[in-house]
Amino acid sequence: MVSNDLNNSSTPNWASILGVVAIMLGVFLTAMHGTELMKQSVMTSNMPVSGVMPEADCPLGELDEEGITLEQCEFLVDYVQGIAQSTPDWFPDTMMKLALVGTLLAFASVIIGGALVNYTPWSTTAAIAVFIGLAAVDLLQFAAVVMTGPLLRDMYLWSILLWFLLHLMLLVGAIAGRHTEAARIQRDVA
Amino acid sequence: MQRQGFNRAVVVLHWLLAVSIFFLFISSWWMMGLPLPSEELQFRAFPFQLHKNIGLTLVVLLIVMLYMRFKYPPAPPSAQDMTPWMHKSAILAHIAIYGLIFFVCISGYLSSAHTKWDTTVWWLFTLPRIAEANEDMNEFWGELHTYSAWILLALIAVHVSGAIYHSYRNDGIIRRMMRW
Repeated sequence: MVSNDLNNSSTPNWASILGVVAIMLGVFLTAMHGTELMKQSVMTSNMPVSGVMPEADCPLGELDEEGITLEQCEFLVDYVQGIAQSTPDWFPDTMMKLALVGTLLAFASVIIGGALVNYTPWSTTAAIAVFIGLAAVDLLQFAAVVMTGPLLRDMYLWSILLWFLLHLMLLVGAIAGRHTEAARIQRDVA
Repeated sequence: MQRQGFNRAVVVLHWLLAVSIFFLFISSWWMMGLPLPSEELQFRAFPFQLHKNIGLTLVVLLIVMLYMRFKYPPAPPSAQDMTPWMHKSAILAHIAIYGLIFFVCISGYLSSAHTKWDTTVWWLFTLPRIAEANEDMNEFWGELHTYSAWILLALIAVHVSGAIYHSYRNDGIIRRMMRW
């Protein structure tokens, strides 16, 4: 027989909300960083050594199946080539490293979010550390993309900026919650 | 007396499934924009194999999760946390989500089974072919896969909204799936 009382919890409201938002965003961001990791790996490992892309292969049956026109099919090859030409040599490796750290931190934020909802003693400090880490990854990615060119900036910058703002909000929320709890404890002691 | 929250294995599997499902959605939008495959253009090979493998693994994980869910059921939510109509809606939404995850994965596999491309399970062994390449069947199952995935995404949005609703209320519901 096991029982755990979930209703009479001492979790403050801010921790419950912050925890769930951290979990939701963490799940989404783990998937996004994971995709970025695969994207860079696939693009670098499949580019022809000569740098010249082969002709697009667009059989009519495949076009119908994909729901695209011949022009769109040919554009897919041109698009990949355009991205490859806009990508500096150092960029894929940098993005892969940052995406790997981002994936781990994002998954950690799912665990930390659960700890916040249960309001474990270490949850707020751990949340602040993880949110700082995630915001730092965003800043480093932002700096890396700024040093590329207009095509990659258009692809990445708005999304990185949005994630940075979200992580900043989570970080400030965790700090504010910590201050509120410290003030409450002081009041109780007095 | 039953444990009020879900079994720990169910909790871990739930979050693993959540991350995998979002990865499948996000990565599929990107990989469908890669050049169509040819002998020289192999951009799609790895992402498609990975997509299929995660999808097939999801089916196994979901079966394990449901087994654990029913073997170690949590106590029903208290009336103050969830009104009867909310509880009924939540049960229906969960059944629909589980059913759709199965359907999306199986229709994706059947679509792939009707192409000329084999499925290699985690790069270890190739699944035996269950059908010859057939463009019509590939398209039929492919469309079902796509549309059911959109419906699944809509239901996940409802599911997430429910979780956020309970987090704002700071009630016992949210802690049932947050037990590490």
